[in-house]
Amino acid sequence: MNTFSSLTPLLIIVAGALLVLILEVFLKKEKKDYLAYISIVFLLGSVYAGLRFWNQNPSYFNGKLLLDNFALFFIFILAIATILVTLISIKYIFLQNTNHGEYYALLLLALSGMMIMVSSTDFLIIFLGLEVLSVSSYALAGLKREDPLSSEAAAKYFLLGCFASAFIIFGLALLYGVTQSTDITVFVQSFADPNLSLLAVAGIGLIIIGLGFKIAVIPFHMWTPDVYQGSPTPVTAFFSVGPKVVGFAVLIRIFQPYWRAAVNTEAVFAALWIIAVLTMVIGNLIALRQTNVKRILAYSSIAHAGYLLVAILSRDNAGLLFYLMVYLFMNVGAFSAVIALSKKNKEYLELDDYAGIGFKYPWIGATFSIFLISLAGFPPTGGFLAKFYVFSTAVREGLITLVVIAVLASLVSVYYYLRIIIYMYMKEPSRDITIHTENPALFFVLFLCLYGVLQLGIFPGNVLVFIKQAVASIL
Amino acid sequence: MSYFLFFLLAIVSIASILAMILTKNQAYNALLLILAFTCTGGLFALIGASFIATIQIIIYAGAIMILFVFVIMMINIRDGIPPERKKWTIYFSIFVAVVFLAELFFALKGTLAPLSTSGIEQSSDPTSLGRLLFTEYLYPFEITSILIIAALVGSIVLVKKKENNDSN
Repeated sequence: MNTFSSLTPLLIIVAGALLVLILEVFLKKEKKDYLAYISIVFLLGSVYAGLRFWNQNPSYFNGKLLLDNFALFFIFILAIATILVTLISIKYIFLQNTNHGEYYALLLLALSGMMIMVSSTDFLIIFLGLEVLSVSSYALAGLKREDPLSSEAAAKYFLLGCFASAFIIFGLALLYGVTQSTDITVFVQSFADPNLSLLAVAGIGLIIIGLGFKIAVIPFHMWTPDVYQGSPTPVTAFFSVGPKVVGFAVLIRIFQPYWRAAVNTEAVFAALWIIAVLTMVIGNLIALRQTNVKRILAYSSIAHAGYLLVAILSRDNAGLLFYLMVYLFMNVGAFSAVIALSKKNKEYLELDDYAGIGFKYPWIGATFSIFLISLAGFPPTGGFLAKFYVFSTAVREGLITLVVIAVLASLVSVYYYLRIIIYMYMKEPSRDITIHTENPALFFVLFLCLYGVLQLGIFPGNVLVFIKQAVASIL
Repeated sequence: MSYFLFFLLAIVSIASILAMILTKNQAYNALLLILAFTCTGGLFALIGASFIATIQIIIYAGAIMILFVFVIMMINIRDGIPPERKKWTIYFSIFVAVVFLAELFFALKGTLAPLSTSGIEQSSDPTSLGRLLFTEYLYPFEITSILIIAALVGSIVLVKKKENNDSN
């Protein structure tokens, strides 16, 4: 296939974004739903265009665009995430008065940035993709313009995002100074040299810090709860999945060759080990004290980044990819359930609002409980299998202390996940909650996520075959 | 001639930076900073780095200064820092200045001797830069267009006038 066809997955998404922007002008306010369906058509088209390259592993533009199975796997799950987020947004942005047609265009542009990031090993390209993602995300966070919390979220995300970009670009500059290249494979080769320059270590450290902001690990997590709380809820669902998934994709691209090539990995290993432990322990402990459901889910997503770092440390790429896939379904599912409990200009986000919901709205209560159980890691859900794969590989790699801490931390997390379920089923309702129930797209997403969580938890075989092929392509 | 120009530009840029620090009026501050940036651009032009000189003037004197002016317009600080915090700020800035000076000294001591103009000429020629942009760096160059679209759409969404809910 020629170079142009290799760009089709990306071009379809960008074309979709531009078409949505043009049509937005001509559509009446009530008919802006069409924009969502148009973006879904383009998303599916892009997935189709991408999957044609499966098992071909081509590279274009002197290796700057790499469509290996690994990149395609990530494009696939990111596109699914965006489809799910688009579907849960349709009614939400209408009810919460954020009905700008540009919403879907920004989602598509953010996705295009993520696709650029996962399909390259050149850090200059990865950085540009990250900026496309970040700039769209800043605007998405502030879309509820009447809500001061949303503006605060946008400002905070913008400032800390710039901060993170500065770290990454400085690290990149140092590594370029050492290696005269911006490619990860060349960066990594410089670590094979025994008299390694200190600049290279500083460079990779700064890049890890910058990515740490994006995947929200402690101590780079300060923005997460406020941004997750203030952003429109579907956007929060998007933030909790999208940037985290691409952040880990880039980390795998760095560390897959790094662990093998580098002579002395101890410093980087120790740094990641400490970050992982801090993230799991502190993330779960702070979540215990939260009473806002969006903040609980924010700290839960921080804690999950810690478990995912365990997979990076134990070099378990297959386990990491499986975890990310399960995480996508259970997290988007949980946020969809939160969105379901809303009506015109009102969202129910406090724990007290959830009292008695399990009996009043049995479907929402039941699906939300299953997502929470999966997040906590109980069988037979995907969350259990994902944790099981990651932790058992880590034990085989000899990281016993880390796994013990991880298991204890996830035991702590059971408390705040089950607390929501206890509120839903065992508390007398203290407030009068009425919700807008005519939302077929949202219930479809709830069903899809439920299917995803249970399918991955009970019959993960087919997906594991795909993941093996994806991981094999970057060896 | 070039010596004369060098000293003229250097003296004007240092003088305008000093004046900027000492002036209280924020509008003058901004103008003096533009003057300093333009003089630095002239210094780059003197050593034959015409491209960097242009970029210096377009980006710093143009784009970045507009940002400063916007911030001055929006924040509108009249009183400045309160006196009890001022003392602390001065000590801290003296400390930072000394550290920065030492850093500059060591950096220059190591690099000044081997530096020649050949590296600058090679990389700052606009023709070769353009050729690189459209061959080796075509893909990243095109990605920046997506970045600009995202930034434009995002900023318009955030600042556009609120639509009236009752009418269509």
